[in-house]
Amino acid sequence: MAGREALWRPPRTCDEYWSEFRLCKSVWNRFHHFYTFGTTPACQQWKDDYYTCHEWEKSSSTETKESLQQSERARVAEQRKFPPVWKLRQNPPADWHLPLPQDTPRDS
Amino acid sequence: MDQSKQQEEEEDYGYNLFPERHSGKFKKGSIGESLFTFNHKCQLMLKFALETSPYAKLLLDAMKSSGCTVHKGRHFSCEDCDGIVSGGFDATSSQIVLCQNNIHQQAHMNRVVTHELIHAFDHCRAHVDWFNNYKHLACSEIRAANLSGDCSFSNELARFNFGFKQHHQTCVRNRALRSILAVRKVSREEAEKVVDEVFDTCFNDHAPFGRIPHSKRDAKFAYRDFQNRDRYFANL
Repeated sequence: MAGREALWRPPRTCDEYWSEFRLCKSVWNRFHHFYTFGTTPACQQWKDDYYTCHEWEKSSSTETKESLQQSERARVAEQRKFPPVWKLRQNPPADWHLPLPQDTPRDS
Repeated sequence: MDQSKQQEEEEDYGYNLFPERHSGKFKKGSIGESLFTFNHKCQLMLKFALETSPYAKLLLDAMKSSGCTVHKGRHFSCEDCDGIVSGGFDATSSQIVLCQNNIHQQAHMNRVVTHELIHAFDHCRAHVDWFNNYKHLACSEIRAANLSGDCSFSNELARFNFGFKQHHQTCVRNRALRSILAVRKVSREEAEKVVDEVFDTCFNDHAPFGRIPHSKRDAKFAYRDFQNRDRYFANL
């Protein structure tokens, strides 16, 4: 178990957290967010995660690891808030790769 | 199945908008097709879209991960279509139709390709009952309008739809409604009811982007996230 703990790293690189923060704060993003949701975007969490990520790089502490995990799990939960309308497949459609019913093959 | 019943079914499912699905004016690959249709231009724009649009590249990768590798020659078809429709996804042949007579700009091609790839992606990852379940159809149309850039501020402005605060959602609803009414014989009230029922779920389903990509920059960030998904989920 100790070996697995040592292999853990933040779900995103620290640079990614910073670039997401910058994207979130940009004028265009604030414009698009208001156009879509009628509110201004909340960007602080990206900045907090960026600093936590750097803290983890220095100290590899459990608190920093758990903080990042909690933050990302909250983001995933936000994406999965509503039950899906359809049933997900276990395998792709059987006929996806079958040739077209026409006689002549298509040339692109 | 006799001729009249087949014709009725075609109208029921919108196939009448794509008359070349069964027989085109020119034989496929013929000189006539090259000279008298926009086929060659469509093929070039399609190739460019698939190679350069971050929206398309992400969708192609996502579909490959789901077991539905997309081959340009097999899964895309440039054809002349009726009316002002820009494209469609034919679930029976697993093929995306691009209306070569109605798509004349690269930006438009990029958007149509993204829109139809979202339908193809839904078909690949879920049991979507395109023909009998209006909720499934509505959901895929909501997602396609939401995630493809159909409802960007500039596109709506070009349609003289002047709205700002939360207008994106209004646009998504309207375009989903329009798409359903174009391909199914259903009343406006019924279509509106179905869109309302599934809107919250489907508007918030951003797969495979993980966000609503409002610009190429957003789409590039989404593509980066998709490429790094193994690391992401392994360390969650």
